[in-house]
Amino acid sequence: MSGDHTFSMTGRERNVLFGFMGLGLLCIVLTFFGDDAVHSRFWSNYLINAVFFTGVSFVALFILAAFTTAYTGWYIVVKRIWEGYAQFLIVGIILMLVLIIGLWGHFHHLYHWADEEAVAADPVLLGKSGFLNKYWYTFGTLIILGTWYFAFARPMRKLSLREDVEGHDANYSLYRKYKWFSAVFLPIGAFTSAAMIWQWVMSVDAHWYSTMFAWYTTASWFVACMAITIMLVLYLKGRGALPFVTTEHLHDLGKYLFAFSIFWTYLWFSQYMLIWYANVGEETTYFHTRINEYPVLFYGNLVLNFVVPFFVLMRNDTKRKAGTLFFVALVVLLGRFLDFFQMVKPGVLHTTHEALAHSGEAAATEAGHHASHFTAGFTIPGLLEIGTFFGFLALFIFFVFKQLEKAPLLPKNDPYLAESLHHHVQ
Amino acid sequence: MHAPVAPVREPLIEGHKSYHNITEDLCSPTEKAPSLAWIIAFVVSVATMTFGLFSLAWTIWFGIGSWNLNRTIGWGYDITNFVWWIGIGHAGTLISAILLLFRQKWRTGVNRAAEAMTIFAVVCAGMFPATHTGRPWFDFFMFPYPNTRGPLWVNFNSPLLWDLFAISTYFTVSLLFWYTGLVPDFATVRDRAVGFRKKMYNVLSFGWTGSAKHWQRWESLSLVLAGLATPLVLSVHTIVSFDFATSVIPGWHTTIFPPYFVAGAIFSGFAMVQTLMIITRKILNLQQYITINHIESMNKVILLTGTIVGVAYLTELFIAWYSGYLYEQFAFFNRAMGIYWWSYFGMMACNVLSPQIFWVKKYRRSIYITFLMSIFVNIGMWFERFVIIATTLARDYLPSSWSYYTPTWVEIGIYVGTLGIFFTLYLLFTRLAPVVAVAEVKHILKTAGDQYIKQRATDNHASEVVKESNH
Repeated sequence: MSGDHTFSMTGRERNVLFGFMGLGLLCIVLTFFGDDAVHSRFWSNYLINAVFFTGVSFVALFILAAFTTAYTGWYIVVKRIWEGYAQFLIVGIILMLVLIIGLWGHFHHLYHWADEEAVAADPVLLGKSGFLNKYWYTFGTLIILGTWYFAFARPMRKLSLREDVEGHDANYSLYRKYKWFSAVFLPIGAFTSAAMIWQWVMSVDAHWYSTMFAWYTTASWFVACMAITIMLVLYLKGRGALPFVTTEHLHDLGKYLFAFSIFWTYLWFSQYMLIWYANVGEETTYFHTRINEYPVLFYGNLVLNFVVPFFVLMRNDTKRKAGTLFFVALVVLLGRFLDFFQMVKPGVLHTTHEALAHSGEAAATEAGHHASHFTAGFTIPGLLEIGTFFGFLALFIFFVFKQLEKAPLLPKNDPYLAESLHHHVQ
Repeated sequence: MHAPVAPVREPLIEGHKSYHNITEDLCSPTEKAPSLAWIIAFVVSVATMTFGLFSLAWTIWFGIGSWNLNRTIGWGYDITNFVWWIGIGHAGTLISAILLLFRQKWRTGVNRAAEAMTIFAVVCAGMFPATHTGRPWFDFFMFPYPNTRGPLWVNFNSPLLWDLFAISTYFTVSLLFWYTGLVPDFATVRDRAVGFRKKMYNVLSFGWTGSAKHWQRWESLSLVLAGLATPLVLSVHTIVSFDFATSVIPGWHTTIFPPYFVAGAIFSGFAMVQTLMIITRKILNLQQYITINHIESMNKVILLTGTIVGVAYLTELFIAWYSGYLYEQFAFFNRAMGIYWWSYFGMMACNVLSPQIFWVKKYRRSIYITFLMSIFVNIGMWFERFVIIATTLARDYLPSSWSYYTPTWVEIGIYVGTLGIFFTLYLLFTRLAPVVAVAEVKHILKTAGDQYIKQRATDNHASEVVKESNH
């Protein structure tokens, strides 16, 4: 906590984070051994968390790029935190690699389109096989995630750190270079993230499609990123690491949480209402399944992600009180997890039943009427799911702390630093 | 303690302006006799408007049969132009509400004119739904009220009705927002005026005295209206998109429509702002208030929204293939390769490809290229609506009813006429009110005026900043 604003993790923090990581691992192992024959609960939990945290780090990079391009000044005091998130993309590559290996080795049955026999017998899946295939999944994921990390997140971080050491020439060339990377990343990120979301998440319901889906998921990531940021900033401030972050900055972060919760709800409503209104069977099946078989997920999603942030954060003062803001951010973070849970689980369960029925397991009879049954870890998140999520969250925070240790928390030569330090909302 | 300004920010007011200079520069256009250029433009606009009103009268006298709509293509020029105009209005609301919330100071240079443009564009847009019914004297049937016709109620399940509410709300709030901003400026004009003009502006400014209490209320009201206008930026074009997307017509029923329509609306709105501002700043000599920096910022918004629209086009195209749904696939094949291929080509070229030249800073800061591009985008966004409406309807489920639509002179006349109405109103506005918001520009002078911004930048040298942050 010197004048340089350096950060180092305390032993206690390390222990707590490792404790949660251990708990997560334990939950993963327990899930694996208590699972069905194709380990659908284990793999779907893994998919949800891998996509969730990879997405949060992608969105952090996207926020940095968007703010830089828009000449934003106020956020410089939390810039290092988002830089830390963006570096997590390297872990994201490794997490997704596990899913890719699973795909090639047929270790999991997350994706109906990965079952060659099923595809051959299904004209719809056959029609999509030009995109939904293991080659696209593998190389798309590796090339796109690789581009995000190696071509943008890492070089941008390096530029930002160089700025600390080298300062500025008359032309602010380091800042201008950072801005160049930011502007270029915006369209690349926008196009490629859509392709990855279709592969990773939407193809879980392999027959279903919605043009809104990519933007919906990105909005969900965005809100998740803001929720984690608010909690982390409040924690770090409480521990004295971010003395320059004031109520004014928290107010603005709170506004982003509020505004983008509404924006997500707008996308949710647009997608739901249009599908409900047109009433085309191929499309309504998605919501029909969720409303009838997963009502807790369907309605809980709206309560946690819209009702709570909307009504609590509507007032001015709730965005300026640490306790209230932390509470809402926590609720929303759990809500975001629930959103990804409801995107992934119903499709995976369906695919699992088909796979089990196909392989002549005892569950075959169940497949016909699985709809009305409660399935642990699918119908609602169980303790194992929550434990796994906190394990991944601890991994994410640990990684971010490691990044924060590498550089001062205040980018002292950023051209907007003065604006950010003197930021006033009211 | 003054608010620091980052050294990399460019000034938004040039020419070392004092508060007095600002009043003089911005109020004087309303106090002088109109220039020859203004008179010529006004005569042309009124003439065009007259032709439009004549075409409209023709439509009402002879009926909708004077348009080339047929049983397959029930919407043609009418709704294309309606959506086009509504979209154009969006830049004004975005600038006045969303950019206010994002504290973008450059909005003050263009917000007044953009909001005026919004109102005039909605006026033009509203004419189409009102007249395409063919019996505009029955238009009050659109409003739900207890009546003696049965009682016969409107269909609350219809997005067309939601649109009526959305647009009338939008118009009301935009008008209030615009007028609220004008009140202190009208007072400034009044204080300089004599005789009848003084009386007129006194009424228009509601007796504004500039007391602290007035400013306090004015600021509260502005914030409340910004809060109301922000969801309206999204809701209006969202509901316009519902007009199409709630149907089961391939190419219309797609879930990305709401946000994609909003992005497209902002895109076309900024293009129209550029078209208007480039001419206005030149004729009224406002280059020091609407600077190249302003134009560059708006070009960046055009590049951004153009690319968002591009992402949406490609998403639609991809998902049409991905869906495996034959009719959806055909709808998009037909758009690109069918009888109206030229409109799809025009749309892609003007909306997605050509704005990409704004990646080059030199072009973003070029007046000529900006003007040319703004026209391109206006054309491209018109094509977009034509593609969505005419192309889709011309090839429906039944090949026996396939058709081709071209407008009659009456339809073209109404469209051209709305351009006349729009420019007539805009030209009157430039004579009656300060085109740039006087009070709001004065408000940012000390943080964005060129004589202050350089001084600020050196004041906030990095070492001082770090020192301050350490206590």
